[in-house]
Amino acid sequence: MTQDLAELSRVLYSPTAIALYLSAAFVYLYALTTTVGRRDERERGRKAQMLGAVLTVLGLTAHIAHEIIRGIVQSRLPLGNMFEVTSLMALVGILVGVGYLTFVRKRPELNGFALIGGALLMGMSMLLYAEPGPLMPILDTWWRPFHVSMLVAAMGIFAAAFVFTGLYLLRDTGERAVAAGRTSVTRGSTVGAAYVGDLDGGGPDLDDDPDARDHDAEYRKALRAGIPIVKLAVGTFVVTGMVSWVWWVTEDSTRVGVTRFLTVNLVMVAAALLARWFVPFLPSTATLDGLAHRTVAFGFIMWTVGTIAGAMWAEVSWGRFWGWDPKETGAFLTWVAYAGYLHARATRGVQGRKAAWIGIGAFVVMMGTYLIANYVIVGLHSYAEL
Amino acid sequence: MSTESTLPPEPNPAIRRPSRRPEPGGPFAFVWDSVKMAWRWLTRMRTALYLLGVLALLTVVATAVPQEPNVPSTVGRWLTGEEGPGAGVSRVLDAFGAFDVYGSAAFLALTLLLFISLTACLIPRIRAWVRLVRTSKPPLVRHLGGQDQLATFTTDRTPDEAHAAAQQVLGERHWRLRAHAGDPPEERTAKPAQVAGEKGLWSREGGSLLFHLSFYVLLAAIVFGQLLTFEGQRGIVEGDTGFRDTAVSYWSYNPGRWFDETDHAGWRLDLDTFHVDWVRDPLAAGAGQPTEFRSEVTVTPPDGEPYQAEIDSNRPAMIDGMRVTQLDWGYAPRVVVEVDGEVVHDAFVHATASDGGFFSGAVKAPAAEPDVGLELFFYPFAPEGEDGQPVPTGAPWDDAPMLLFRQYRGDLQLGATQQTVNELDTTGLESEGGAFLRPGQSVELGDVTIRYPEHRRWVGYQVSSRPQIPALLAGAGLLVAGLIPALYAYRRRLWVLAVRDEATGRTLVTVAGRAFQRPEAFEAEHAAIVAELSAATGGGFDEAAEPPDRSDGSGYPRATEDRTDHDGDRPDHDDLTEAPTIRDRRTDVLPAPARSGPPSEVVRR
Ligand code: HEM
Repeated sequence: MTQDLAELSRVLYSPTAIALYLSAAFVYLYALTTTVGRRDERERGRKAQMLGAVLTVLGLTAHIAHEIIRGIVQSRLPLGNMFEVTSLMALVGILVGVGYLTFVRKRPELNGFALIGGALLMGMSMLLYAEPGPLMPILDTWWRPFHVSMLVAAMGIFAAAFVFTGLYLLRDTGERAVAAGRTSVTRGSTVGAAYVGDLDGGGPDLDDDPDARDHDAEYRKALRAGIPIVKLAVGTFVVTGMVSWVWWVTEDSTRVGVTRFLTVNLVMVAAALLARWFVPFLPSTATLDGLAHRTVAFGFIMWTVGTIAGAMWAEVSWGRFWGWDPKETGAFLTWVAYAGYLHARATRGVQGRKAAWIGIGAFVVMMGTYLIANYVIVGLHSYAEL
Repeated sequence: MSTESTLPPEPNPAIRRPSRRPEPGGPFAFVWDSVKMAWRWLTRMRTALYLLGVLALLTVVATAVPQEPNVPSTVGRWLTGEEGPGAGVSRVLDAFGAFDVYGSAAFLALTLLLFISLTACLIPRIRAWVRLVRTSKPPLVRHLGGQDQLATFTTDRTPDEAHAAAQQVLGERHWRLRAHAGDPPEERTAKPAQVAGEKGLWSREGGSLLFHLSFYVLLAAIVFGQLLTFEGQRGIVEGDTGFRDTAVSYWSYNPGRWFDETDHAGWRLDLDTFHVDWVRDPLAAGAGQPTEFRSEVTVTPPDGEPYQAEIDSNRPAMIDGMRVTQLDWGYAPRVVVEVDGEVVHDAFVHATASDGGFFSGAVKAPAAEPDVGLELFFYPFAPEGEDGQPVPTGAPWDDAPMLLFRQYRGDLQLGATQQTVNELDTTGLESEGGAFLRPGQSVELGDVTIRYPEHRRWVGYQVSSRPQIPALLAGAGLLVAGLIPALYAYRRRLWVLAVRDEATGRTLVTVAGRAFQRPEAFEAEHAAIVAELSAATGGGFDEAAEPPDRSDGSGYPRATEDRTDHDGDRPDHDDLTEAPTIRDRRTDVLPAPARSGPPSEVVRR
């Protein structure tokens, strides 16, 4: 009976929820491409958004059902090992991301990015899959779920911020390239460039003005062409590699390790190239930059509170509140890195791209310390033992 | 005073640089210049962050390299080259203090520099903030041009009534207000009557200051904590004599410098029963995982009645202000050693868990001649196989216990060499063979008889006194309490200006607003204020609502390269020190004052 339930919870997670999220993501991405199209296309886009919303809700239902059933099977909160933590991180990331974009920002056509991010995270968590089981007694306290869920939520939020930051950098690169050679794009007219940047601003009537449509299509192509494809692919590979080497090093069999390393890297490269294709349909750089900043600010508060709660738990459980074990060091480093980002944003002269790169670096620090602490050095925080 | 009231304060209050002092010339000029340059470098915010970054890197070093205070034996093996990158590299690491990062001079110096830098950054900011809070008033303006948010409506009330209504509406929304009527006459004539309000100017910066100041509380708590703290460890066997909280009874004893031996209360702790269990079904989920660690103890205060208590993994006991935490546990076989019929050892031996699924310990019996040493390996679950021989398993529950030992004779060199209690240093000892025993069995090896009557469990407790905890909690609370407004209080300004329109005989009310952060979030707030104000004054929208012109006349929204998009923060240090009245490059986009529209048709820049 419990065996069946355990199996059910796994199937609900993978492939069900992952597949639903991914299909919703693709439907949303399609809807995004129609926002600059003709009237009938926009109509189709609206229908697509509705389909995307339905798929997202179904995916969330499957995901939440998975969490609940897993919780019932092992009669405890599903926050006890790496798989469970990552799964919840994805759930929070998707809930917060989609909820924020839909209800606060009222830009549901961007949901595709949040969903793809969540699905990628869930795919990664399947590498860490562990059957449901009881908890080590040391982990069984009120502080633990509080501490872990705060940090997990913050990680999900930082992941969303990372996506926004990456998109901002892409869009900014494209816009700069276009700005540097604008006249060649719009054949001497600057009109075309003026409206594509802001989707909610209306713009000229693309239905009745074939000229505007041409400018529009050309501007989009120029934005995309402004992002060097090889540089993007190699750059993504290198940045991902800064984190994913952990799989290579810690896997017993080199073949499996290299396969994992390459899989993770290539999936990220593919995601980057996909994002590049979507760059013309993104909101303006300032919007993306603002989204990144707001999400980091929120995540930073969560991270701070979660880390403090962790210290309180450590004092109760281990009789010391801070011992610089690998996870504690990682939490500190991540905190410092994101503080650096916030300072960069608050200081004149380090706005824009420079701050964005600090944001990317902070995410690398977070993911890196998380994986290194869990795989390379296993400290007191033993829930990593799968 | 008057200059301050017309110029808006900077979003971050302006910091006054001290005036230049006369400088020494001559041969000391160079030294003086260097000191000044170093000081200037040190007091920049960026320097503080670099210092913090270097400290963060040192914590990475401390994670990668074993630390003397935690694992001295590993450090020793690194230094001799038995482990780690080799003796040569280890010596270099040692020279840089890498084996004791948190106690190293570099770490302390960097922390000191960081706090000097932080102090130098904060003192002018605090002074500017105090000045802001004490003297600043929302600035009055001459024209309402150039603001982010602008809306107008008409009402039949007089301008004074409209201003009074504005004061009420804004006051209820907790805006800090300045009424024109309250100003000195010479200022009143220069500016039209109006209500000016602001919000978030104190709280955002104040929150940021609180956040940064909490570092001092945390630092002080950590430093004094190091001095006042006490931490000691000690293992107790079930039902055996417990231990008394005195300096000599701990196995490991780490008092802070200011912790006095007389600070021990002298209570006594006995372990009555220790409960430990696991998921024993090998097919069940989580097989082998522990499910319970719990001690039932008896505490005897120095001058009181003994009482029972329970210590769980997450519920330490507090005894006389000292926290008692379970750290470790193991089996404690009772081993009796007789040489020629004379008992030379009879005690419970603390055997600690090791990776191989057994528990290891040692017996050292110097009373014999020559000394007897036993290496013990306790297998809790070693059932008999088909051939009648015990088959050790890795299971930790004691359903089929077996004690395996190897005997040594010779000089144990107790006292002569550094030794850990439960490891036998076998150099220079003669191996005399070994055997295994079930509970109650005994074996004779030569003239030595070894008996294993029973076993119990022992638990390792940590006793700690940390008087710094309340201060740390207070510091952490201040940190969070400051962080939230530092990131979420948005600075805004608002002006309400009502004028009698002689042509119609009605009053034209203009509500202008400016957002220093997140202007897009201010849009809705501004619209709500306009709606509330027009309702409060019976304002009407009887005139034809006309959408405002686009600024560039193209009919298109802003060009993409316009970086002051309505989303996201704009740089706080932007040109905000200018008075709104002199932002004339924006006045061309002002709607003519005569035009009015419903509040929802807010003109947006
Ligand atoms: C652990 C180290 C630090 C952290 C986590 C930290 C965090 C922050 C945060 C969150 C802000 C608010 C940014 C905003 O308004 O968006 C801030 C602002 C600021 N911090 Fe720090 N800080 C740290 C250390 C320092 C140090 C050492 C200094 C100076 C010596 C410093 C100087 C400032 C200044 C001047 C601001 C105001 C920037 C502005 O609002 O325009 N900080 N800091």
